[in-house]
Amino acid sequence: MLKFALRNLMSRPVRSLLSFLGLTVAIVGMVGLFSVARGVDHTLTSTFGRIPGLLAMQPGAPIPLFSRIPADWEQEIAAVEGVATVNSEVWQRVNLIDGKMIMSPPRFLFGTNIETRLRLESDPYRQDMLPGGRFLNVDDVGTRNTVISKQIAEEFHVGPGDVLNVNGYELTVVGIYHCGSLLLDTAVILDIGQVRAMSRFDAGSVSAFYIEPIADIDDRQLSQEIRDIFRGRDLEPWRPSASDLNVGPRTGAWGAVLEFFSQPRKSPNSPKAADGPAPKVVPERRSSSAASEAKGKQVDRSGSSLEFPLEVRSATEWSERFSDLTADLNLFLGVMTAIGVSIATLSIVNTMLMSVSERLIEFGILKANGWSRIDVLKLITCESAALGLTGGVVGSALGWVVVGIINSQWPERVQLYASPGLLAFSVCFATALGVLGGLYPAVWAMRISPMEAIRRG
Amino acid sequence: MIQLDNVTKVHRRGRTEVHALCGVTCEIAAGSLTFIVGPSGSGKSTLLYLMGALDEPTSGDVRVNNRSLSGLSGRERDAFRREQVGFVFQSFNLLANLDAVDNTIVPFMPRGVSHELRARAVDLLCRVGLRDRLDHRPSELSGGEQQRVAIARALLKQPLLVLADEPTGEVDSQTGAVIFGHLRELQAERQTTVIVVTHDERYILPGDRVIKIRDGRIAR
Repeated sequence: MLKFALRNLMSRPVRSLLSFLGLTVAIVGMVGLFSVARGVDHTLTSTFGRIPGLLAMQPGAPIPLFSRIPADWEQEIAAVEGVATVNSEVWQRVNLIDGKMIMSPPRFLFGTNIETRLRLESDPYRQDMLPGGRFLNVDDVGTRNTVISKQIAEEFHVGPGDVLNVNGYELTVVGIYHCGSLLLDTAVILDIGQVRAMSRFDAGSVSAFYIEPIADIDDRQLSQEIRDIFRGRDLEPWRPSASDLNVGPRTGAWGAVLEFFSQPRKSPNSPKAADGPAPKVVPERRSSSAASEAKGKQVDRSGSSLEFPLEVRSATEWSERFSDLTADLNLFLGVMTAIGVSIATLSIVNTMLMSVSERLIEFGILKANGWSRIDVLKLITCESAALGLTGGVVGSALGWVVVGIINSQWPERVQLYASPGLLAFSVCFATALGVLGGLYPAVWAMRISPMEAIRRG
Repeated sequence: MIQLDNVTKVHRRGRTEVHALCGVTCEIAAGSLTFIVGPSGSGKSTLLYLMGALDEPTSGDVRVNNRSLSGLSGRERDAFRREQVGFVFQSFNLLANLDAVDNTIVPFMPRGVSHELRARAVDLLCRVGLRDRLDHRPSELSGGEQQRVAIARALLKQPLLVLADEPTGEVDSQTGAVIFGHLRELQAERQTTVIVVTHDERYILPGDRVIKIRDGRIAR
């Protein structure tokens, strides 16, 4: 029967071809659109999968760029049992490279404490250095020696030994890394102090801490232990560091303002507010009045009074947070796909309806010769399913090729991923659409009486 | 044995009722060659289609081998047509996408076509003189050749009953004679009941059973 169905399709080549093309284009679009979401997921999974440690940031900050936490918390975290190394990180956005405005893809100044960085057992940047250069070492502390990603090096045609002008500062490239990840291959890495100076970043703050645990430690338990240290502690509001303010005489109105900000203003819960070691305060749950009081305090001038002022998560947990962000993207892509697929389905319904209306006599003959209603239904469904299957296979294949072309043309901007699962789903989905699209015409044909069909002939 | 008992058929087209058959009662012997003759619109084809379970009577009963067709379910009617009835239509009604062999075996396609069945189809086509036309499609065959394919299709299932509706209506007289020759030969050989609707009485031979019908009634 399948052979017969294919012959029927081929006997109306133009109409079948148009219907097939309609579905193919829709499936290509579907593969392309869902490859965006899959690409994001794939990038996140592959990137965070390479980062075995924990990341400590300001609560709610989606990425280190938007996080500010006190730099002196590093020692307290390092003292936690189970922590092997803590690396301070400062992240800033790069606005200009060699005079060119950087919009998309974004580039970041990544300031790292080189000494602790070198103690990390696992560091994707250090491990993925290209030959001909080197990673930063202790001699680079206080210098503007930098390691940049291969993409940046290629875009600005620089290599080890060359000078790269970033945000107006001349940096000497000493090495190039290539992690193969859209998220990681965006950095200009240099000494943390230099990044602070270049970006006027408060010396008392960092963006995040990368925490490398000792082997065989439970990540979740360690995260909780670290968070508990800072539980109930205020996250102080930003203020200029004393060193930043020690410029010129403090006279007149500006002098008074500077004097005001240079006074130490510690919160009552801050470990520095009291003498001696940091108290591990675990406050009781606040009553509503206490909460209101705390809220008022926050509005007043003190720091944030979140119960946990530090968020510590494993890379996998951060990737899950990113996945939440992509939920809206998935919804949008789903709507776009639904529109395309609906048009394709209508095209199949139209094709099959026209085909059925032209072949009423044929169905009458078949029924007269003993074909049952179900046999007729099967024949038409076979035809539409064949349209769906071929459209799905070709559409998926073309979608895969298109995704490959896009990835190779714009490797720095997008990383689409047409997974085998997505391709298989597309083929099945297109076949199901074909079957559904042919169902109404098939039922119509099934109900025609053979007498009526033959008399029409 | 086919028995028609006071069969009426009314076609409704909108508000208009057309009485195609009005109380037809007759019997047709098994293994006979029977002609139904009469002017256009007299109800010949309607009677033929009722006997082939293609349509249902408005009232009355059609029995084939003592089995009432009115009591058959849809599935049983399909099976009856598939296994026991062969149709030959005036306008051949072959499927344009299929060649002569596939047109012959098309009734069996949903349930699978064995090599043996295909061989029988080829043999039948050869018997009706289409040895050189086996892989030809209807558009590549003459009217007479198409009708011979239709006869082969009707006979392949070795039916109890062959119903032919104006089988020579669209062919010249010489071809018509050839077609009737095949019908008679196969009927005699297989003892199949053959009922032919025609208004061309040239092909009726002495001894053939003839039912004359006029205005939906059997003319005496």
